[in-house]
Amino acid sequence: MNKLLLLVAFSLIFLNGGAQNLFITKDAKINFNSSTPVEDIVAESNQATTIIDIGSNVVKFSVLTTSFKFRRALMEEHFNENYMESAKFPKASFNGKIVSPIDWKSEKPVMVDIKGVLTMHGVSSDVNLKAQITPGKSKIIASAEIKVTPEAFNIPIPSAVRDKIAKEVTIKIDAIYAPYQQ
Amino acid sequence: MKNRLFISTLGTVIAVICSISAHGQDLDSLMEKSVKPQTVYATATFKSTRVVNGHSVERMKKNQLEFRVSHRFGEFNMGSYYFWGLDQGTIHLALEYGLTDWLEVGIGRSTYEKTVDGFAKVSLLRQSSGARNMPIHLSYLSSLEVISLNTDPAMRQNFSSRMTTVQQIMIARKFNESLSLQLTPTFIHRNLVPTELERNDLFSVGIGGRYKLSKRIALNIEYFYVYRANESAISQSNPTPTKYYNPLSVGIDIETGGHVFQIMITNAQAMREGGFIGKTTGAWGDGGIHLGFNISRVFSFSK
Repeated sequence: MNKLLLLVAFSLIFLNGGAQNLFITKDAKINFNSSTPVEDIVAESNQATTIIDIGSNVVKFSVLTTSFKFRRALMEEHFNENYMESAKFPKASFNGKIVSPIDWKSEKPVMVDIKGVLTMHGVSSDVNLKAQITPGKSKIIASAEIKVTPEAFNIPIPSAVRDKIAKEVTIKIDAIYAPYQQ
Repeated sequence: MKNRLFISTLGTVIAVICSISAHGQDLDSLMEKSVKPQTVYATATFKSTRVVNGHSVERMKKNQLEFRVSHRFGEFNMGSYYFWGLDQGTIHLALEYGLTDWLEVGIGRSTYEKTVDGFAKVSLLRQSSGARNMPIHLSYLSSLEVISLNTDPAMRQNFSSRMTTVQQIMIARKFNESLSLQLTPTFIHRNLVPTELERNDLFSVGIGGRYKLSKRIALNIEYFYVYRANESAISQSNPTPTKYYNPLSVGIDIETGGHVFQIMITNAQAMREGGFIGKTTGAWGDGGIHLGFNISRVFSFSK
């Protein structure tokens, strides 16, 4: 019985220890580009929330689609109204895991593979991406790039604008994480 | 001994499962907590800055310039000689600009009585949910119309006689993705009216609505009730009074990228408040209706 108590106590310590493994930021940058020679389509949000758990190598990401800012107001309206349907699907999120080895103590930039599920417009799709991560005690710097197609997320592009919007959308992410404080 | 080993193994398994699942939940709820509470504004309550003829609560955002071309053909009941009105046309050209996200100004010129106009539209309240809850949009419009037509001797005497001012409040709500409704109390002052029976001050209440038929196509209906008691009474000085009607317009908005194309049927010929609220003479009942369209193109001056 003592052993059991010991185990429970141990796992509680392990649980509490979890918090020290968390790094978080609420103002990560995401920008996306689906420009073509005919039209510049670029937007940026700096209100993404993301967490890295260096214990389990889990990465989570979430952003409100209405937080993306466009140069042209009308484009922003169409993005939310016609393509992302932000009223119905307010959030885009990513849930993944770093699958290649990473030494969180090294403090040197390293390229890693991340596998996960990207959810937007109500559709979840498996994605693999490469990210550059610079571990550190007081901050973790990460940047990643991922290419997606609107079709994969059930976002139809009407034929009238098909030549103006790139087939593949490039999404770039830049985040500087700080240790999570309870 | 065996029993104790079993219990402790079980304990370990449970503890590990608990810690793993608690951990997973931790992260998700932590994400939820960390997302800052945000105000989500209802956007695109109407596709355009006009419902059909009248203003909607929408305006150009900061540094966005809209060029509008509006056109109304003649009345359908003009018959075959005038190709049912299509031979005739009234045009309104306008440039409208968002000085800030809440203030829009515009200038325009119409072939209808050779009117020149200018307006300012202010967004006072924006419908929102989330961190800030607001059930309606509220906008205020003030405009001035100057008739430059040179045939009326009374107007030639005094420049102020050419002026009409419009004060309008727009109260709108986007009920859901498809349906938006607007209530539009309006006060119009005409410095000079053709006969003494016509009112210098006109009160009117407009109701407008849009229903989205698809993502890019919407049906719009707009009606203005105009209070004008005794205006059409027959008197000695006014043996054949002009009969005025309340404007009713039905339109379709078609949006294609940077353009919004509005096509409509309306009994109003004019495209500004002083005209279509104050001086609509077409009657739906006897085919006094116009086919018309508005074309809008938006240019961005944002960096």
